[in-house]
Amino acid sequence: MEVYGSSGVSLREFGCEQSLLSRPDGSASFIQGDTSVLAGVYGPAEVKVSKEIYDRATLEVLMQPKVGLPSVRERSQEQCVRETCEASLLLSLHPRSSLTLILQVLHDDGSLLSCSLNAACMALMDAGLPMSCLFCGVTCAIDTEGRIITDPTAAQEKESRALMTFAIDSKEHRVLMSATKGSFSVNELQQCIAVSQSASEKIFQFYRDSVRRRYSKTL
Amino acid sequence: MRYKVKCVCDSFNPRKCLSFPLFLHTVRTAEPLEYHRSYLKENCRHDGRELSEFRTTTLNIGSISTADGSALVKLGNTTVICGIKAELANPTVEAPGKGYIVPNVDLPPLCSSRFRPGPPGEQAQAASQFIADVIESSEVIQTEDLCIDRGKLCWVLYCDLMCLDYDGNLLDACIIALLAALKNTKLPEVTINTETCSPEVNLEKRRELHVHKHPVGASFCIFDNSILIVDPMSEEESLCTAHLTVVTDEEERLCAVHKPGGTSLSGEKLQECITRAATRQREIQKLIDKVINSVKAAQ
Amino acid sequence: MFSSLKDKVGQVLLPGDEFSFQADDTISLSGPVKPEKMVCGPGLRRSGDRLLVCKSGVLRHKPPNMFWMDSQQRRYVPVKGETVIGIVTVKSGDVFKVDFGGSEQASLSYLAFEGATKRNRPNVQVGDLVFAQFLVANKDMEPELVCVDSVGRANGMGVFGSGGLLFTVSLGLVRRLLAPHSDVLQDLQQLFPCELVVGMNGRLWVKSSSLQRTLVIANLLQSCDTMTAPQRQTLFRRVAQGAL
Repeated sequence: MEVYGSSGVSLREFGCEQSLLSRPDGSASFIQGDTSVLAGVYGPAEVKVSKEIYDRATLEVLMQPKVGLPSVRERSQEQCVRETCEASLLLSLHPRSSLTLILQVLHDDGSLLSCSLNAACMALMDAGLPMSCLFCGVTCAIDTEGRIITDPTAAQEKESRALMTFAIDSKEHRVLMSATKGSFSVNELQQCIAVSQSASEKIFQFYRDSVRRRYSKTL
Repeated sequence: MRYKVKCVCDSFNPRKCLSFPLFLHTVRTAEPLEYHRSYLKENCRHDGRELSEFRTTTLNIGSISTADGSALVKLGNTTVICGIKAELANPTVEAPGKGYIVPNVDLPPLCSSRFRPGPPGEQAQAASQFIADVIESSEVIQTEDLCIDRGKLCWVLYCDLMCLDYDGNLLDACIIALLAALKNTKLPEVTINTETCSPEVNLEKRRELHVHKHPVGASFCIFDNSILIVDPMSEEESLCTAHLTVVTDEEERLCAVHKPGGTSLSGEKLQECITRAATRQREIQKLIDKVINSVKAAQ
Repeated sequence: MFSSLKDKVGQVLLPGDEFSFQADDTISLSGPVKPEKMVCGPGLRRSGDRLLVCKSGVLRHKPPNMFWMDSQQRRYVPVKGETVIGIVTVKSGDVFKVDFGGSEQASLSYLAFEGATKRNRPNVQVGDLVFAQFLVANKDMEPELVCVDSVGRANGMGVFGSGGLLFTVSLGLVRRLLAPHSDVLQDLQQLFPCELVVGMNGRLWVKSSSLQRTLVIANLLQSCDTMTAPQRQTLFRRVAQGAL
């Protein structure tokens, strides 16, 4: 499915498949251009006593890079994904249980964090965990001439002056998560947020279409 | 018991209640969130600060004599010490004309009961990554300055940030400590002996590192999805619904807008945070300059 | 009052979709209108006068005012009164621990069997399958199972006999099987006679006249999840005609 906007927000081709793995309670793969992430969710399952929280579920996010072991970079991305998921999940409905979200990077061609967020959201939805809203990730790059590129490829990311990834919620289209690289002005930040917000509408529409496709057999 | 506490809580004015330390302690341990809310309702915080007021920041430069540069920062109770060690190394193949900076944030069990001994936890690793991102994004040091001989020899700056006392707002303290330590760093002169091709370090003759930008962070916490507080303490950090750190430099350019999830934030609130971060940057830069001048005057 | 919601029945909704149901603006002349009561099933949450969808799936409606989300999930969350198939994992003193595929194990008292007394203990071994219903199931307490109904009768519950095959399917399929006049069951009935126990936790137990037939039924049921009704009927017909 090609997603090109009239508002000038162009995103690469999307693809998504839900419940493609048999063992996890929820799974999804998300493809943005050549970037591809596979997500699996287990839970609500039994929790280790040391990690038990008395009034809500414990969420763990593990991010596996394509090659090698997870490093400090993955840790910080895990933190971003985890806190975004915690904000949208209704964790208090499953106290003293554990949720595990595993993100396996299949290929990285830019906008990896936003692709991981999208895969995570689809997998959580597939697992049927109670959520107060959905979220999606959008990456914006500002190139040397000051233009904003949404959903950049790895090559575009490398040439860019600044790179920002936002997680946007589906209810009020506000910023849940923000991770930036490079320096930029306040104006540029506000512009990027606005662009991400309009891009998020397309992603949410895509979510809806893919879930509808999934349930088409039982309608 | 619980009922009683609740009952008083509804009608209690924190400004008046400051004279009942025992009562406050009960509420604080039983209902910490309710305790903090009652203060925030009055536009103040339990340590007497305004919502947008930072804790007292104290700075000591050159505290470690064995390091090439060092600084100790106290932000209220939060204490971070930064030591910079310069070592000679071969530049990487991808960037032959550049040196590199390796930051590391350490949260030892000493600083808080929440940290366990062993390999660094998620928070320490995320903080290390954040500091590395800030160094790269802000271009605080031009890595070209660290090159001695293109493709052969360069400086590596190991920036070790150790938290001695953890009481919230680690990232702000780390950035200030790092910046002050970099300003304090003096690298010895290196000449390359043309005959033996080996470097000779002249420890007597040192030059200061050129610090191009002055990035300073300001951290915020969001309470109950709406109330914004500045410079959270450890207790506030664990109760709030979202964190935000904004790093700006002296030209008011943003180097990082780091919000690792949590509840959403509106555009106006974000603008408020950025404005506050810019004022904070000016305050801290003034503080660093003052301390450096006083150190120089003492010598 | 629920017209906006009723319009969406049978459609796919996502978490975060909201409906507000305020009273209609029109004033009834025939007298004070009774506020309509509404029942929210799984996947829907009420907060004040708003209704929030918190699971993705198809919105279902049962007159007069019962709504729920029909979603395909794999992990079972216990609900009071539902019957499940569990596996006895621990035998400790007065209670058995039973694994039912949820986040923690349920307890099952040895007295909660038909005719069980302190003297006359039921014969339950570790590894046995039990068909039981939830007496206690809420998020804050350990779930508790019983193998008797409210008047002390087994009513089909208890320890399974030997033979048969246990396998798992999605929770959505289980609900389709248990629905009155289930089309899947009707198709299955025309195939071979068999004994089928359906646990709400996604576990099915089948026993038929021969091992081969049991396996055929298990495989057919497991593949039902991903098939449309015509696809399923053709497959069942082929099996009935002896394609195996």
